[in-house]
Amino acid sequence: MEVTQRERVLEEELAALRARITEVEAQAAAKEQQLERYAADLRETFKQERERSAQLRDSYITTVRALANAVEARDAYTGKHAERVAAYGLSLARALGSRLADDPEIEFGFLLHDIGKVAVPDAILYKPEPLTEPERHLMERHTVIGVQILRGVDFLGEAKAVVRSHHERWDGKGYPDGLAREEIPLAARVFAVADTLDALTTDRPYRPASPLCASREIINSLTGTQFDPTVVEAFGEVPDDELEGIRTEIQ
Amino acid sequence: MTAVRPSAVLIVDDDPFIRRLIATTLEDVAGFELIQAADGEEALELADQNKPRIVFLDVDMPKLNGLDACRALRERDDLAGTRIVMLTAGVQHERAAHDAGADLFLTKPFSPLDLLRLVDELAS
Repeated sequence: MEVTQRERVLEEELAALRARITEVEAQAAAKEQQLERYAADLRETFKQERERSAQLRDSYITTVRALANAVEARDAYTGKHAERVAAYGLSLARALGSRLADDPEIEFGFLLHDIGKVAVPDAILYKPEPLTEPERHLMERHTVIGVQILRGVDFLGEAKAVVRSHHERWDGKGYPDGLAREEIPLAARVFAVADTLDALTTDRPYRPASPLCASREIINSLTGTQFDPTVVEAFGEVPDDELEGIRTEIQ
Repeated sequence: MTAVRPSAVLIVDDDPFIRRLIATTLEDVAGFELIQAADGEEALELADQNKPRIVFLDVDMPKLNGLDACRALRERDDLAGTRIVMLTAGVQHERAAHDAGADLFLTKPFSPLDLLRLVDELAS
């Protein structure tokens, strides 16, 4: 008799506990659903944000390309010089093991390096004879003018250093600031080699293109004077087919 | 029209998890002052003190449930400008919430984006 009563009490307690467990489980499930809802929204928001930023990057690069094309439209024979130089420059930066290659601003700088030439009169830009001193001075101003043109464009950041310093030389005899060695921003030192490589390997009205191996020799001969030896060394490690690929694909 | 404080938002739920979730979601909305209550009685007290522009009010709460709290808030002349958002567990509460004088519902589990949109709408 006593035992059955105790059993009944225990069973009631057990039932109450079970009910409590069910209740707590239901509350936990509701919380989980609520959190799930938050997580789902967060994922969706992140996805949209990523897509938006990819679109934004795309519109930056196409705008920059359009600007670079505008500069080159004046200059029929260089063709897609800016795009090729940008590709060579990125190859070189990768060979250097530099983080430059991952920085979109640097590519922008490579593409826009000559934007200041819009301010140089055609008579000087296309003069077949050697430039006079004042003409040369005006021509050299394209670096500084380029930076002035891009002054307000925040997203270009380091790109402006390339625009300003892409005619500096390792030995300090370049322009516009006569910077030497590591004073020259690395991106501009990389660019200088890429620029010369493209100039040498494309046809010009006054001379045919040099083959790649001859161009390599010319660039090697300018190490330590015009070019940063480290960059020239890295250039030596970029395989021929990679450079040939860029030359044939971007025409 | 009465002088509710546009920056004050009162969050009423007996579940601290829900209060915290709403508070965290609204934390970054500039200029909001978030006040929390755990039951209907406390809600009335804090509403009288703070004159909130928006009240989030759970239905099922100890002491004074959300529907009764909502009716009590609606009787206060100085809170006539307060917008009351009822936190409901499903459509079955919506009719009752409406009759009690709630302006809007937010059904659990609710979306943080909907919550933000709702607050934007109510605050403007």
